[in-house]
Amino acid sequence: MHMLKRDKKDEEDGSSNPYANLEKSAVLQEARTFNETPINPRRCCHTLTKILYIINAEHEGEHLGTTEATETFFAMTKLFQSNDPTLRRMVYLTIKEMANIAEDVIIVTSSLTKDMTGKEDLFRAAAIRALCKITDSTMLQSIERYMKQAIVDKVHAVSSAALVSSLQLMKTSHDVVKRWVNEATEAVSSDNMMVQYHALGLLYHIRKNDRLAVSKLVSKYTRQSLKSPYAVCLLIRIACKLLEEDGAGHDSPMFDFIESCLRHKSEMVIYEAAHAIVNMHNTTARELAPAVSVLQLFLSSPKPTLRFAATKTLNKVSMTHPAAVTACNLDLENLITDVNRSIATLAITTLLKTGSESSVDRLMKQISSFMSEISDEFKVVVVQAIKSLCMKYPRKHPVMMNFLSSMLRDEGGFDYKKSIVDTIISILEENSEAKEAGLAHLCEFIEDCEHTSLAVRILHLLGREGPRVAQPSKYIRFIYNRVILENAAVRAAAVSSLAKFGANCEDLLPSVLVLLERSLLDSDDEVRDRATLYLSVLKQHQKVLNSAYILNALNVSIVGLERALHHYTTEPSDVAFDIKSVPLETQPITEQKTPGDAMQSKTADKIALSRQDIYSEQLSAIPEFDSLGPLFKSSSMPVELTESELEYSVHCIKHTFSNHIVFQFDCTNTLNDQLLENVTIHMDPSDGFEVVNYVPAQCLKYNTPSTTYTCVKVPDDPLSVTSTLSNTMKFLVKDCDPNTGEPDHDGYEDEYVLEDIEVTVCDHIQRVMKPNFGASWEEIGDDNQIEETFALSAKSLAEAVKNIISFLGMQPCERSDKVAEGRSSHTLYLAGVYRGGHDVLVRSRLALMEGAVTMQITVRSTQLSASEVIASAVG
Amino acid sequence: MGLLDKLAAWLGFKKKEVHVLCIGLDNSGKTTIINQLKPKDSQYEDIVPTIGFSVEKFASSALSFTVFDMSGQGRYRNLWEHYYKDAQAVIFVVDSSDKLRMVVAKDEMDQLLSHSDIKNRRLPFLFFANKMDLREALSSVKVSSMMGLENLQNKPWHICASNALTGEGLHEGVEWLTDQIRSNQKR
Repeated sequence: MHMLKRDKKDEEDGSSNPYANLEKSAVLQEARTFNETPINPRRCCHTLTKILYIINAEHEGEHLGTTEATETFFAMTKLFQSNDPTLRRMVYLTIKEMANIAEDVIIVTSSLTKDMTGKEDLFRAAAIRALCKITDSTMLQSIERYMKQAIVDKVHAVSSAALVSSLQLMKTSHDVVKRWVNEATEAVSSDNMMVQYHALGLLYHIRKNDRLAVSKLVSKYTRQSLKSPYAVCLLIRIACKLLEEDGAGHDSPMFDFIESCLRHKSEMVIYEAAHAIVNMHNTTARELAPAVSVLQLFLSSPKPTLRFAATKTLNKVSMTHPAAVTACNLDLENLITDVNRSIATLAITTLLKTGSESSVDRLMKQISSFMSEISDEFKVVVVQAIKSLCMKYPRKHPVMMNFLSSMLRDEGGFDYKKSIVDTIISILEENSEAKEAGLAHLCEFIEDCEHTSLAVRILHLLGREGPRVAQPSKYIRFIYNRVILENAAVRAAAVSSLAKFGANCEDLLPSVLVLLERSLLDSDDEVRDRATLYLSVLKQHQKVLNSAYILNALNVSIVGLERALHHYTTEPSDVAFDIKSVPLETQPITEQKTPGDAMQSKTADKIALSRQDIYSEQLSAIPEFDSLGPLFKSSSMPVELTESELEYSVHCIKHTFSNHIVFQFDCTNTLNDQLLENVTIHMDPSDGFEVVNYVPAQCLKYNTPSTTYTCVKVPDDPLSVTSTLSNTMKFLVKDCDPNTGEPDHDGYEDEYVLEDIEVTVCDHIQRVMKPNFGASWEEIGDDNQIEETFALSAKSLAEAVKNIISFLGMQPCERSDKVAEGRSSHTLYLAGVYRGGHDVLVRSRLALMEGAVTMQITVRSTQLSASEVIASAVG
Repeated sequence: MGLLDKLAAWLGFKKKEVHVLCIGLDNSGKTTIINQLKPKDSQYEDIVPTIGFSVEKFASSALSFTVFDMSGQGRYRNLWEHYYKDAQAVIFVVDSSDKLRMVVAKDEMDQLLSHSDIKNRRLPFLFFANKMDLREALSSVKVSSMMGLENLQNKPWHICASNALTGEGLHEGVEWLTDQIRSNQKR
């Protein structure tokens, strides 16, 4: 007993790894024992283990180079003279690991073929796996015969190894493996479970690209019942995929097969079939019923795996077919006290999704009793369930908020805390009643929060939402505590947040000023700088300044700003740095923002941001465009100017500069017997636009995209900004040999007509987010205000809002792009920057009357012509 | 090695193990020769071109041989040198019916003899002038002169005509090799 305890302690220390501190050079030195005669199998095995460890433990910085690996590999080949089974299998393992590191590994081919066809069954399967790993498609021919024999070998392990290795080989040499169909078919009729499964897998992958062949395969094996449950499971998956591709209904024989599998004697198959039916796209309640009832039986199974699988599947179904799952509610209720906490969590979250509003309280109580016992991963599942519940039953938010706040207080990793904070923020954004409670919980959370990014985020939120509640002063203490207690990043965020309170609430201003003054002596530069700036701004008592420097942040692209500043410092000039020359931050399109694709829009944002920077870099590399100034905006999606599958394909991207528009044409030549040279796109301008110059693509080879540019000057008249330009591609054709790509010497001129390009208002406007629209609106003032009224053709308010946003290409602010259901009027706030760096704000009041939408649009801008353009654009 | 094994080795019951390298151009019959020398029950029925190398074992009257049967194909010949170091004898197989490539075989042999792992060792070289059954086959004397064997000074060598398909001439060569190795070890 005492011994046992000590052993356990040793394990916990983790000091028992004998390979932890291996040195590469020492191990390679040790590999010399391979050359000794006679061979000492035990020592060699040990050395091979060390080599394997070094190859796989690359994090320790010991990397085996090609030369070293090759040398060791050759030394190791000498071990083939020993017949010690353990040593031989270690050799196989090392061959597999070294296959991609060492050179000339094919040298062991004959030795391995000898082993795989030899008498020693112990060696054969492993030899096949090693052999297939070192073989490339040219060498495969020479071992093909052995592989075919091995597939139908009567030893199951050998047959399985050959089948699985063939699957691996498919990736590189599909054509050779395709010839082994007959052997694979024979192996399917094996009486061994694994062989049958692997053989079916190989057959399927060989025929994968031929739909007809696959459906024949399925119908053949659904009729002759397969013995192996694994094979049946695979067959179900293949059948499902076919059904999905065909879009076939439930009368198809494939579906009948899957349904019949619900009555199979193996639990694995039954589950697979139920899972398949449940996950099909167009299942109706009638098909779902038998599958769900099977899962229901599993719910009361004594095996935890089955219970887990069934609950997990039902949890998924409850999102799409809550009604079907209601039948299982009773069984799920029994599971919420399951000893396996993972099962219990899934059961409760399922019930939360299907249950009625009245049961929420009880379930929440139950789940909080064991929250501390489940892993973070499942806690996140619970949090997500709560989030969707809050959307469904907004009235339940007090219960949820309390629960979430108690979860926040518990121990947990960053992902878990982040998902809770996300949920609370989304609840208080959706539901104004929950706002105060939510903010209070978050305030409490940041009092003891070790995650800087979360604290910063919450402080930012407090700065935005806090000043608008009835009693903003209660948040000041929480924020100021951060200034005293936290690290520099949080302190800086807290200072910004304080300043926002000062800017928004007159009565708090004196206190805020006092607090900010204390930060003037902070040890961190950033905090000091922020405090100094905010103090001097706030002391001016001017709303315009507050709005520009405190409430609304800088809207420029960070990367662009960095580049512009760098450029400015390297080439000193007497002129002050102009912030308007910096490209603006591209805003993500937030129109269809659902919780589901929140992630997606985040990544899209990143791409868009970097895309514009890439374009700006590409364009600045072209000397012709040097004089155009900084890039203002690039159109987000390329426009196709040709129909697909024609001779040439051309996509256009518009780049707007302060007085010019550069059209970038990405051309692809799809004819392999032609080489195009000197390709330009000639534009036929109208409405006062004029072509300045062309930058031709020197050479357009087959299937290699190339780019040509056309620069067009925008008319001086500030009001004519839109136009339609017709395009012709002109080039010199040289015929060439499709095989070699060698062109003829002479060519002839040719041209190709492309579709027209439209320049619209939104090409001149960049989206900009104004976090505080009201302040900005006042800041701009009504000097250049234009107001007009229009009748729109849209049928509903939502449609009208969508059209206006896409037409003007401006950023909706204050979440005004969402129209509340059943309202007859709506106000849309849009913000943007007009070409040349002029702020433009639009307030558009919409009213729905007798099925038609009337709009009163008010445009304010720092330049009158910009207001006129926008106002006239709508009409 | 157990006590009994040691005793057996001391008394000379257990055969001494030696490492032999079997090389030569492709299609000269190396694998077939080795296959023929193996005990009847472990022989293969069909011989395919060797890729890389394979390790085979057979025994003569007094020694147990471990042979590294190397591939003779051009792309693998540079791999031979990895195995020179621990070879105790070399079997060099020449296709005596392939007059055209005799110079290539000589070239490979010269390279082998000038290798640092071979040059200064008294390794016994056994040459098989294989495929003697073919009509256009050269005699062993002719082969040895075409290979320039008379210039081979510091090493014991022997050439015998052989037919690997029937086994003719093989045992004579192996017996010579056994004697040479045993006398090498006595010295």
